[in-house]
Amino acid sequence: FRYTRNLVDNGNGKFNLMILCWGEGHGSSIHDHTDSHCFMKILQGNLKETLFEWPEKKGNGEMAKKSERVLRENQCAYINDSIGLHRVENISHTESAVSLHLYSPPFDSCNTFDQRTGHKHKVKMTFYSQFGERTLC
Amino acid sequence: PRLHTLLAKNNRLGGPGSLPKGLGQAPLGRSLRVLNLSGNRFAEVPPALLGLRGLQSLSLGGNRLHGIPPDIQELRSLEFLYLGGNFITSIPPELANLPSLNYLVLCDNKIQSIPPQLAQLHSLRSLSLHNNLLTYLPREIINLVHLEELSLRGNPLVVRFVRDLTYNPPSLQELAGRTIKTRNVPYAPSDLPENLVRYLSLASNCPNPKCGGVYFDSCVRQIKFVDFCGKYRLPLMHYLCSPECSSPCSSASQSSTSQSESDSEDEASVAARRMQKVLLG
Repeated sequence: FRYTRNLVDNGNGKFNLMILCWGEGHGSSIHDHTDSHCFMKILQGNLKETLFEWPEKKGNGEMAKKSERVLRENQCAYINDSIGLHRVENISHTESAVSLHLYSPPFDSCNTFDQRTGHKHKVKMTFYSQFGERTLC
Repeated sequence: PRLHTLLAKNNRLGGPGSLPKGLGQAPLGRSLRVLNLSGNRFAEVPPALLGLRGLQSLSLGGNRLHGIPPDIQELRSLEFLYLGGNFITSIPPELANLPSLNYLVLCDNKIQSIPPQLAQLHSLRSLSLHNNLLTYLPREIINLVHLEELSLRGNPLVVRFVRDLTYNPPSLQELAGRTIKTRNVPYAPSDLPENLVRYLSLASNCPNPKCGGVYFDSCVRQIKFVDFCGKYRLPLMHYLCSPECSSPCSSASQSSTSQSESDSEDEASVAARRMQKVLLG
């Protein structure tokens, strides 16, 4: 029903390596990366990444888009909080997409942002599966 | 004769006769469960497939559909319907007659409004409406009790609510109804027209524990927005019985969304009250 986060390796607490599976039309919110490094590689399909500026302290207007690009199979991308925020989406209505993500240090919560107002909301991130086993929550 | 799944995506199907006329007839009509025609050139839902009574999953994503035929209701077994990435401008109320529909994708279309009848899709668990032209959602959408996911980004939706509905006093009927309820004015079904008796029976108590008020067109619901990662609950709307109820009522939803309430506090108090009065017009 929505994209899944599947943990592959937790690197002795130093990093999280996970595979994200995106169905047709699935997309993420605009989010930050809790002071961590984030690498992303497209394993299958294409994902559109839209970069946003951080909103003003008292966010009160439409968030500013910095740039957008479509990442193709085998392409890599990197982001951290000093670069900005992003939204990742599978904009295909016919193909699913798969991406590999490396986060260091690992984090289990981040802020999501309302594009219309810049308001942020802290959310806990969950896994659909870990090490091949379905995670129930 | 026992064909279960037919995947024909990314072709050039769309002209007349793309699909055989007898598609809906037995035995295929009853055995086919999954049909994927995404990435083709269909300008309308091919009538031939409407006879597939056993069909559970249908994808027509990325075609050239301008509408959905009311006869879509013939697909009685449909659980999954993907219509994202077309040119659909409106949704027929008959779509609500699909008794098993769990997953409905209408993203990336040109939809301007959702018919209130869609609230009859009691089994609906996921509804994707992002990137359309919606300016409001029908109030009845809160009746979708099993809805777990709802995507709305990319619609001229939320801001419009806040601006246009700041000053929307209750109707005279509502004010009269509230008085009858809060003052316990006695009435019998024979005293009033049937529609007013029914109206009065719909009174709800304001969730604000400090307020003894009642209201008729209101609810506090929380639905997940899939636009956010992880488990995330955002109130779809707040509906209050009176302006005096603004802050205490926000605490009613604080149990599940503490962070979004702190966002409200950060806003100017006027804007905060406006958000809390979001109506589904």
